[in-house]
Amino acid sequence: MIMHDRDAAIAAAIGVGLRAPHVAEIIATRPALGWFEVHAENYMGGGPALAQLDAIRRDYPLSLHGVGLSLGTAEGIDDGHLRRLRSLVERTAPMLVSEHLSWSVSGGAYLNDLLPLPYTEETLEIVAGNVAQAQETLGRRLLVENPSSYLRFRHATIPEPEFLAALARRTGCGLLCDVNNIHVTCANLGGDGAAYLDALPAGAIGEIHLAGHASVVRGGKTLLIDDHGAPVAPAVWQLYRRALERCGVVPSLVEWDKALPPLAVLLREARAAADVARTLADADARAA
Amino acid sequence: MLALREVQAAFRRAMLDGDDGALAALVAADGIAAAERLAVYRNNVQISLTDALRDTFPAVCRIVDERFFAYAAQIFLGRHPPTRACLAEYGAGFADFLAAFPPCRELVYLPDVARFEWLMNRAAHAADAEALAPSSLAGVAAADTPRLVFRLDPSLGFLASPWPVDRIWRVNRPGAQGDAAVDLAAGGVRLEVSRRGPDVVFRALDAASFAFRKAIAGGATLDGAFAAAVAAGEPFDLGAAVADLFRDGAIVAVTLAPEAVP
Repeated sequence: MIMHDRDAAIAAAIGVGLRAPHVAEIIATRPALGWFEVHAENYMGGGPALAQLDAIRRDYPLSLHGVGLSLGTAEGIDDGHLRRLRSLVERTAPMLVSEHLSWSVSGGAYLNDLLPLPYTEETLEIVAGNVAQAQETLGRRLLVENPSSYLRFRHATIPEPEFLAALARRTGCGLLCDVNNIHVTCANLGGDGAAYLDALPAGAIGEIHLAGHASVVRGGKTLLIDDHGAPVAPAVWQLYRRALERCGVVPSLVEWDKALPPLAVLLREARAAADVARTLADADARAA
Repeated sequence: MLALREVQAAFRRAMLDGDDGALAALVAADGIAAAERLAVYRNNVQISLTDALRDTFPAVCRIVDERFFAYAAQIFLGRHPPTRACLAEYGAGFADFLAAFPPCRELVYLPDVARFEWLMNRAAHAADAEALAPSSLAGVAAADTPRLVFRLDPSLGFLASPWPVDRIWRVNRPGAQGDAAVDLAAGGVRLEVSRRGPDVVFRALDAASFAFRKAIAGGATLDGAFAAAVAAGEPFDLGAAVADLFRDGAIVAVTLAPEAVP
């Protein structure tokens, strides 16, 4: 009985990112998955997209993952966008709402990428203010995701995991720990993924992201590109296992965007994530 | 040390104008040049926004071909980057941009094809609205009917063109086969675009109905819209036109304009 409950808890924790080409198949076949995550900005209008989201929501818990709030913008977050997010939160009653430690708006222009921040005290002040405003408007806790980075600012003074820890302390926000992003960032900027992970406050981690990445060679050196276009890499699975060791079973998501494969491939990755969690739970049970 | 606001302004210029000048000095090289690192972000910005425009304007892209489309999109997004995070709402100014873009001056019909695709995109993503029944007019006194203002379903859009844009679109839409010819001299069209259930649909209207509905969509009173329809110079039945709007589920709010001061 205890084993059965444990397996059910693991199954309920694993989700995949919902992408438009898979929606009809999911509604028709209702695969055994714990939950789905969607990009909030794809559902801020009406019409068939929103109707399909309602249909998915009837059968599964949902996580809203924003990509456009620009929590790191120095000119303040767009109140209109925040209110549209609130409407979607009210409509879909998601189990989780998350955004990124990044920025995308400057001079009123939305640049549609998760752009990097110089981690300084000034930036911490700005991001904390924006996160507090978002949580106040949404009336709930936000999870903030570590980005994948391709550069570091010379004037940065705070390591990224410490910045995230301070942000969580100041605002009460949770963290979305993307283990692929940790791997990509550490490879690109020089750093140790395991040490990065260990520096995050385990108690604040409310969700984990898993995805694949690509690599390119620039000036004779390799840069990893977070394109969500491949299976999860072995090194990222290792980080995932380490993350679960630290924070127990938390909602975990497999994302795929570029060269989107059939749904079955995502389901296979989701099963692999569940296997990691089960293997750890078995080891714990034996040790007990 | 630059304030965050200035760092972000410099970053924006690097992304949109390709001007890394102020920014490169702020980026740690760590074995890979700052320019190479910034190029990863610039690629993401430019490619994702070009993809968003291509998703909204697939027939325009097919007409001018991929390479030219990417070239035009790159110049457009540099001058008119999105102002909102919902990319389905990006591209309102693309048709006007194409109309003034010298390299496609010869494609005289292209801006109207873009306007048509923009209306279809808007219809697909418009907010859901509850249609009113004709009984919503029950309390309106006959003397007040000229002051009626109808708010139309937000998916409705109107386009008049001197070119057969619907036919041009049909042969260039996603999935269209071959190179069917369209006679550009076939004459113009007046099109109404809307969403029916999950589907975006369009149809041609006669001159009077088009003028009437377009005036109402623009916020005119019933009297004003009637005048616009009559000015179109074709027979027009106001009662039937209002009944048609209700039948189409096009009316989502009814108000009265303030009475004119005598």
